[in-house]
Amino acid sequence: MDKMTLEVLRTGGRKARYELKYRKGMTVLDALVEVREKQDPSLAYRHSCRMGICGSCGMNIQGTPRLACQTQVSSLGKETIKVEPLHGMHVIRDLVVDIDPFLAMHTVVRPYLVRRDLNERDRSDREYRVLSEEVARFLQFDYCIMCGLCYSACPTVALDPDYLGPQAIAQAYRYMADPRDEGWKERVDLLDSAHGVWRCHVAGSCSFVCPKDVDPAKAIQMARVEVLKRRVLRKMARAGSPLVSVAPSGVPKQGTKAPPFDFPREEAK
Amino acid sequence: MNLAKTPRFKAGLLSSLVPFGFNVERWGYVIHRVTGVILIGYLAAHLFETFQLSMGQTAWLGTMAALHSLGPLEMVGLWLVAGSALYHGANGIRLILNEMFGMLMGKPIMPVYPYSPTSLGRNQKIAVWMITAVVLALWLWAGLYLLAGLGVV
Repeated sequence: MDKMTLEVLRTGGRKARYELKYRKGMTVLDALVEVREKQDPSLAYRHSCRMGICGSCGMNIQGTPRLACQTQVSSLGKETIKVEPLHGMHVIRDLVVDIDPFLAMHTVVRPYLVRRDLNERDRSDREYRVLSEEVARFLQFDYCIMCGLCYSACPTVALDPDYLGPQAIAQAYRYMADPRDEGWKERVDLLDSAHGVWRCHVAGSCSFVCPKDVDPAKAIQMARVEVLKRRVLRKMARAGSPLVSVAPSGVPKQGTKAPPFDFPREEAK
Repeated sequence: MNLAKTPRFKAGLLSSLVPFGFNVERWGYVIHRVTGVILIGYLAAHLFETFQLSMGQTAWLGTMAALHSLGPLEMVGLWLVAGSALYHGANGIRLILNEMFGMLMGKPIMPVYPYSPTSLGRNQKIAVWMITAVVLALWLWAGLYLLAGLGVV
């Protein structure tokens, strides 16, 4: 392949075609950069790191959401590459979409460690150790770069803009599975809602397009099992079952099995 | 410009039902929805049909005559309903295993390049293709059964 054509869907529905010379190892982002530098400086798209870490260059390439910097032109097997903005999002201009609704879902699940003791949270003088097998339960979901590809690929997001989305639920589960976290109950309440885990129908597109193998589909099903477990235990507790000794408001989370390790800070001088 | 008031790009029902460019499980998602709609349509028609019994013999015979006047289309419709029920039921069992018990999804792993998600891994693929094979075989059998009813085979 010596030549290639980039067909970009631009603002207003106009399809712009750009003829380029193909270079070995060329990515779709390389092609877009070349178009903007040599042919059309008005073409708008996002990019930053060019190495699949920042997650800025997510776009729909040949009908599938992908990172432009990680997509080799040769891997697409065609001379004409069709590029569109990410589906299911508001388009700001050309290939630039508004990711605010997506980030809002991420924020709402409290993607950080929650501790009940405010004094400890604000004036912590120790580190919290976690066993490596406990880390394995959530590390995969920690690798999310928030590129929004899973959100764009999800058929439920296409139907329900209030759905939390695969990325946010995966992040909620990431912290639910962390033995240091104490925000389990709030997150389960959020997931066990009309726009929570029950809206997922395991199309698996989120995991299919994820460039970092965060596997949101798996995280959603694991979160759903947690939600179900809470529902069953609540019912059992309400029925006075001797098998469970939990308060109906929630299931107490198991603490980490790692040995406590006090690491006193140096006294401030 | 207030973007929230503008339509989202390629969102909505049609967009959610386009499986091209995605994984085989997405095809399963689309077929599950389409077969679900067919089954709901059939259920409504079936309820209407049986309701005619309460309207007397004339109404019932009239409904039956109208159905039979469709000719081979009636059998094609029944064949579609049979296929829909088979796929919706079999795929539904897979989804229950996925959703209620987290089965076929794998356990969290250390992501190593080149990435391949375990939730769409070997177990899931075996389940999807087994369902497809069994449903197609039974659907073919249902077609032959209906054709036998027509006296064609």
